[in-house]
Amino acid sequence: MKRLRIAVTKGRLLEDSVALFEKAGLDCAALKADTRKLILPIADYPLDVILAKAPDVLTYVTHGVCDLGIVGRDTILEHGGSFYEMLDLGYGACRFALAVRQGDDFYGSYRTRRVATKYPNVTKRYFAEKGMDVETIKIEGSVELGPILGLSDAIMDVVQTGTTLKENGLVPIEDVAQISARLIANPASVKLHRAEVLDFVEKCEAAL
Amino acid sequence: MTFRAIGTPEGTADRLFADCAAIRRVQRLVTDLFRRRGYDEVMTPEVEFFDLFGDIAQENLRVMVDRTGKLLVMRPDNTAPIARVAATKLKTMRLPQRLYYNQTVFRADDAHTGSRGEIAQCGVELIGASGYRADLEVLSMGVQALEVVGLRDFRLEIGHAGFFPALAAALGAENDRAMRDALEQGNFDAYQKLLQNYLGAPLGRAMAQLPRLSGGEEVLERARALFQLPAAQEILDSLERLYRELEAAGLGERVQFDLGLVPKFGYYTGMVFRGYALGAGSIVLSGGRYDALLGKFGFDAPATGFAVDAAALAGCTSQAARTDPKTMLYYAGGCLGQALRRVMTASAGTCAISTCETEQGALVQARAAGAEQLIVIDTNGERSVTL
Repeated sequence: MKRLRIAVTKGRLLEDSVALFEKAGLDCAALKADTRKLILPIADYPLDVILAKAPDVLTYVTHGVCDLGIVGRDTILEHGGSFYEMLDLGYGACRFALAVRQGDDFYGSYRTRRVATKYPNVTKRYFAEKGMDVETIKIEGSVELGPILGLSDAIMDVVQTGTTLKENGLVPIEDVAQISARLIANPASVKLHRAEVLDFVEKCEAAL
Repeated sequence: MTFRAIGTPEGTADRLFADCAAIRRVQRLVTDLFRRRGYDEVMTPEVEFFDLFGDIAQENLRVMVDRTGKLLVMRPDNTAPIARVAATKLKTMRLPQRLYYNQTVFRADDAHTGSRGEIAQCGVELIGASGYRADLEVLSMGVQALEVVGLRDFRLEIGHAGFFPALAAALGAENDRAMRDALEQGNFDAYQKLLQNYLGAPLGRAMAQLPRLSGGEEVLERARALFQLPAAQEILDSLERLYRELEAAGLGERVQFDLGLVPKFGYYTGMVFRGYALGAGSIVLSGGRYDALLGKFGFDAPATGFAVDAAALAGCTSQAARTDPKTMLYYAGGCLGQALRRVMTASAGTCAISTCETEQGALVQARAAGAEQLIVIDTNGERSVTL
């Protein structure tokens, strides 16, 4: 049986992914060990796990150096790539939302609106579909500062509970897209190692 | 003048030595196959009018403007230009016409992902032939193209451009366009969610299986049980007929089915197929039947074809390392003729003429370049200096 390689997003998604793998009956000892190794083998199943940053998961799977990947829908929407989106894993659930300062009327002006975001592609696409011309400003850190400092009229960001927004005097005014973790696969891997890939996908599906 | 551009534009790359040799090898083997099968080469311009490529999003094209302000584009696809040639220059010739090409297409998509904006394609177009023998002609050649370059682990997957539309029409879904796009992009999760409202109908539940209807010939049987529609059954019959003949030709294990295959380009009308190879993360071959494309140029004729990605195939085959010439020649003044005769009788890549003015210089340079001998040619004849 061919050993598959899966790239899993580091951080919060990793904990949930390990929980999923364990529920699916995989031995995740190597994943939980305190190690600096980059490739972690599953002992009782033909699968090697690679821990990667979210956009890199897309890159590895698109290029076929990893057969499978687990990554948030937010990253997929922002970066794209060519791969199959096999399963909605459900965890890591949050949403893209447009938020403004409490009391602001985002649409009530003829001026070109400015939107601060870590996700310029998602933002541009969203407003292009609305037929609205906005200026997007890419911010790497705390996007909430945009409206507070007067840099932008709104922010487009990933919102989980809304607490951070609230604490900074912002309110979500529109939900743009629902987000959760996805299992993705390289098309050529699916074609050439169909049995192995489907076995893993079905294991995950059954454990959801 | 100082050159500041030391890099190359997005999506392009310099290719050196063994990389070139590997791509040229694939191109030679594949075009030899095309000629052997009776196909004749055509070349089309690298620059075409923008309007020729309606199927491709503007941001994925490399666009420029000519002197009169007309929009031009670096050829993003070979099929549309060949269809233009067939519809304008070949319409009075007897059909079918068997054409092949060996030329690059240019795309501008996917910045910063390391994807290639220049794709060296070798492909065929069979113009003016319909029916299953014409489909077999190109399908069998597709398998052969992957065989002749020496791939061991590869697969051709056949689908049909009419399959999903037939199901969607029978289902009567309003969001069939979105479903089609989800399938085309391989977003199976989104596809399932779009189908959610139709799972009450047996056809809706059957269509939920579509992304998993890929694999060997048993897929056709499963599909036959799932989709009772006459239009679907007819397509499955036609695919099975193709398979039986390929199987009898000993190509059966190379061929599989993917009934969820939705082609990227809207011009496909019949069977469509893609090639996958171990070692290549992306599709190495794609093609199909496009009976409606030539009609757009006012020449109503059926057509079918495919193209391979020569660089992707080259990447899947083992590559020889670069070898420097083992013999260097140094000639005394007036002896260039002898040197030329010597270099032309050696086998290619083994011998080169030194550009140094002096024998001593040639000796130093040959040694540094890792040559095994320096042959000095003068009016007395030639002598070899072992390095």
